[in-house]
Amino acid sequence: MVQTTWKAIAPVPTSQEFLDIVLSRTTRKTPTVIRSGFKISRIRAFYLRKVKFTQDTFTEKLQAILDGFPKLQDIHPFHKDLMNTLYDADHFRIALGQLSTAKHLIEQVCRDYVRLIKYAQSLFQCKQLKRAALGRMATITRRLKDPLLYLEQVRQHLGRLPGIDPNTRTLLICGYPNVGKSSFLRSITRADVDVQPYAFTTKSLFVGHFDYKYLRFQAIDTPGILDHPLEEMNTIEMQSITAIAHLKSVILYFMDLSEQCGYSVAAQVQLFHSIKPLFANKIVFVVVNKIDVVKPEDLDEESQKLIQTMLKGGEVEMLQLSCHTEQGISDVKNKACERLLAARVEQKLKTNRAVDILNRIHVARPIGGVTREVFIPDAVKNRVKYDLNDPERRKLEKDIEAEEGGAGVYNINLKKNYMLENDDWKFDKVPEILDGKNVYDFIDPDIEAKLAALEAEEERLEAEGFYDEEESIEDDEEADIRVKADFIREQKQLIRNAARSKKALKNRAIIPRQKQPKNLSEMRNSLEKIGLDASTVVERARSKSRGRSAAGRSRAASTMEGDVEMRDISMHDISQMTLKERAKSRARSQSNRREDGVTDEGARTKAERIAKLNQKKMNRMARQGEADRHTTASLPKHLFSGKRTIGKTNRR
Amino acid sequence: MPQNEYIERWEKLHGKRLDHEERTRKRRAREAHNSSKSAQKLHGLRAKLHAQARYKQKIQMKKQIKSHEEKSVKTSDPKPSSEPLPPYLLDRNEPKSAKALSSAIKQKRAEKAAKFSVPLPKVRGISEEEMFKVIKTGKKTAKKSWKRMITKPTFVGPDFTRRPVKYERFIRPMGLRYKKANVTHPELGVTVQLPILSVKKNPQSPMYTQLGVLTKGTIIEVNVSELGMVTTGGKVVWGRWAQITNNCENDGCVNAVLLV
Repeated sequence: MVQTTWKAIAPVPTSQEFLDIVLSRTTRKTPTVIRSGFKISRIRAFYLRKVKFTQDTFTEKLQAILDGFPKLQDIHPFHKDLMNTLYDADHFRIALGQLSTAKHLIEQVCRDYVRLIKYAQSLFQCKQLKRAALGRMATITRRLKDPLLYLEQVRQHLGRLPGIDPNTRTLLICGYPNVGKSSFLRSITRADVDVQPYAFTTKSLFVGHFDYKYLRFQAIDTPGILDHPLEEMNTIEMQSITAIAHLKSVILYFMDLSEQCGYSVAAQVQLFHSIKPLFANKIVFVVVNKIDVVKPEDLDEESQKLIQTMLKGGEVEMLQLSCHTEQGISDVKNKACERLLAARVEQKLKTNRAVDILNRIHVARPIGGVTREVFIPDAVKNRVKYDLNDPERRKLEKDIEAEEGGAGVYNINLKKNYMLENDDWKFDKVPEILDGKNVYDFIDPDIEAKLAALEAEEERLEAEGFYDEEESIEDDEEADIRVKADFIREQKQLIRNAARSKKALKNRAIIPRQKQPKNLSEMRNSLEKIGLDASTVVERARSKSRGRSAAGRSRAASTMEGDVEMRDISMHDISQMTLKERAKSRARSQSNRREDGVTDEGARTKAERIAKLNQKKMNRMARQGEADRHTTASLPKHLFSGKRTIGKTNRR
Repeated sequence: MPQNEYIERWEKLHGKRLDHEERTRKRRAREAHNSSKSAQKLHGLRAKLHAQARYKQKIQMKKQIKSHEEKSVKTSDPKPSSEPLPPYLLDRNEPKSAKALSSAIKQKRAEKAAKFSVPLPKVRGISEEEMFKVIKTGKKTAKKSWKRMITKPTFVGPDFTRRPVKYERFIRPMGLRYKKANVTHPELGVTVQLPILSVKKNPQSPMYTQLGVLTKGTIIEVNVSELGMVTTGGKVVWGRWAQITNNCENDGCVNAVLLV
C-alpha cells in the first residue's frame, strides 16, 4: 500500500541542536577517564572509540532523517506533483542530497583520522587528532544549516496535509473562486472548511468524507482557478490543477450563473474549455450553483448557447443546486456517486482479475431442469397472522403473564414445554441429589435397557443356584497359627518403626544407651513385661531419688502445723499465696529496668514521652538506634593495609 | 481530522486567551530569572555549553549597546578655531609628523629584514626519540635494533619505491604520507589545497630534509599553477615555497603559508 499521509516524520533539529545532541551523546556514552601512563594501545583504543562513536551517531541520525522523508519516486504521482508545487521537488531533492553527502563526508573523515590515530605516539597526539576529527565533522554539520531548516519546515507542512487517497472513490470540486465550492463540501460532509465571501478563501486542498450506499467517499475541495496559462498559475492554483490531473474521480465543475462571484458566465465557460484536456477519461458534471438567485433557464440567449457548448458531445451533464437553500444538494451528490460507482464497476470488470474470478465461479443447478420449490411446512403456512385487535388471537406468554399478576409476580413455567414420552410426566418432581449423589451424573440414555439386562442375569444366576452358601471349614490349629502370625507381624512392625525413628535423629548425636534417661515407670514396665518382680528395684530407686526441696518441705510443714493468725485461711488461699511468693522472688533477682530510677508514676510517663521523642527522629531517618546491634570489624582492612606515602598512620 | 492551517484558523475563529498579552509579558520578564536559576544548577558539559552560548550572547549584547551609545553621541568635528593660536601652542602639531617619520623608518627596517625572514622564525626542537621509533629485528638470539620508523608525517616523491627490507633503515609509513597541503596566500587571504612538490628544508636537521619529514616550520615547495601567478617577466609561476604552520601530526593535515 502506498503511503498517503506523512504525519509521523520525526522532528528535524537545527544544525546547532544536531551538533549538541551528537557530541553530548559521545561524552555520555563513551568512557571519559584516560591517563598518559596507560599503555599506548589502550590510549589509542580510547580515542578511536570516541571518533568511531561520533561518526556512528552522525550517520545514524542523518540516515534517520533521510529515511523519514518520502522518496519522490516511490509515491503516487499525485502526491509527487503536489509536493513539487508546494515544496519544489528540486529543492527537496537537493536538501536530502546534501544530507547524504554530509553523511559520506563524515564517514570519510572518520576513516582518515582512525588511520592517523593508529600511528599516534602519545596521549596528547591522540587527543589532538580526535579533536581535529570531531571538529571537521562539526564543520560539515554546520554547513547543513539551511537544508535542515528547510526540511523541518517541509516536515511541519507535510504533517498537516490532508490524507488524500488517490485510488478511492472521489468527488472533486473545482471552478472559479467564490462560486460555492467550499459551501458544497460543508453541506455534504462534516469537514470544517472556512467559507468566506471573498476569493481564495481556500488556499489548499481540503478533504471531507461521506457515506453513500454504505461506501465511504471522499470529496475534495480545491482552491479556485483563474483562466490563464499553466505557467502563470501560482502555487494555490497549481494545487487544484494537480488534483484534477492525477486523481481518478468525478469532477464537479462549479458555476455561478448569477455572476455574484465577480466572473462572467462567458469567463467561466472559457475556463471550462481551457482545462478540458485534464478531464480526459473522467466523469464530468457541470454543477450550477446559486439557483435560488438565477436559474439557467432565466439566462439570455447568448449565455444559454455558451452553456450548451459545454454540454456538447453528451458526455457532460448539467446539474443544479443551491447551497444556500440546500435545494438539489443530495440530488447532485447521489447522481455523481451513482455514476462513479457504475464506472468503477465497469472498469473493474474489464481487468484481468475480474475475468479470473468470474472463471472460477460456478453456480450449480439441478440436473434435468427440475425446479426445486421452497418448502414451507403447513403449520407455518396456515398460521394466522398475529393481530392485537383480534379477540381470537393467539395467547402469548405476555398475555399469560398479565393474567397471572404481571411482571415480578408471574413466574414463567418452563416445564410445560418439555417434550417427554408421556405428557403426565411433565410436572413430576425430579430430585437433583439422591443418597448424597448427583443424579445427573448417573443419567444414561440406555439405563433402562442395562437395568433390564442386569435383572435378567441376576434371575438366571439365582435359578442356577450360584448364590447357595458353602460350608466354611476352619479348625483350631489354623486359628492358633493365625494369632501367632499376627503377633509376629506386629512385633516386626514395631521394631521397624523403632529403627526408623532412630534414623530420624539425622544430625543429632547418638546418645549411648547407658546415658539415655529412662523413667522409673518405664523400667518397671519392661521388667514386669518379661516377668520379673520390680517392686524391690522401684523401692530402692525411690529411696535414692532427691525429694522436693528443703524449703518446700519446711513450708509444707509450717502449713501443716499452722500459725495462730493463719488458722482461718483456707487451703485455696494458701496455694495462691505460694504462687505469688514464687513469682516475686523470681522478679527480685532481675530488677525491672523500666521502673529503675523512677520515683513515681508522673516521672515515668514523662521519661517515656521524652524517650519516644528522642527516638522519633532516629526512626524517621531510619538511623541506627541503640537497639541495633552491630559489631564492627576488629581490624578494618582499609585502615591496616597498603603502603603509606604521604601523611601519617593517623591520617588514615 | 484537522487539515492544513488549522491552528491559524482556530485562532482566527476564537482569538487568543484574554490574558494572553499579560502572560507573555510576564513570561518574558521572568525569563532572566529562569535562565539564571538553571545556570546556577548546571554542571559538567551542559554548563560548558551554556557558558559558551552565554558568552557569545553577551558579546552581541555589548556590541549592540555600544552601537546605541555611538548613535546617541553627537559627534562634531572640532572646527578649526577662528582665533589664531599663540606661537607657544603652535608646536603641538609637531609630534604627529615626528611619529609618522619614525614609523616610516621602522617599516623600512622591517622590509629589509623581511627579505631574510619567514613567518615562523623559531621552531621547537624535536629529539630523535620523538621522531623515530626503534624497530627490533632479528629472532631470539640476535636481537638488533638498527631499524627506525618515522613517527611524523612525511612527503615522498611520486616515483619513490621502498628499498629492500634488509637495507631499509628508515621506514616512512604509508598512513603518514601526505601529498597535498592547504596553502594560504598571506596577501590575498585565500587558502587552496595544493600538491606538494618537495621538501626544501626542515629546520630540525638536514637528515629530516632528506627524509622529507613535515614538521612545523618546514619549508616545502608547492605547485601553484592553479593560482595562476605570473612573474614580472610574464611567465606562469609553477613552484613556490611555503612554510608549514601547524603540527601536522596533531591535526591530520598540512597547513602552510606561501612565502612571497
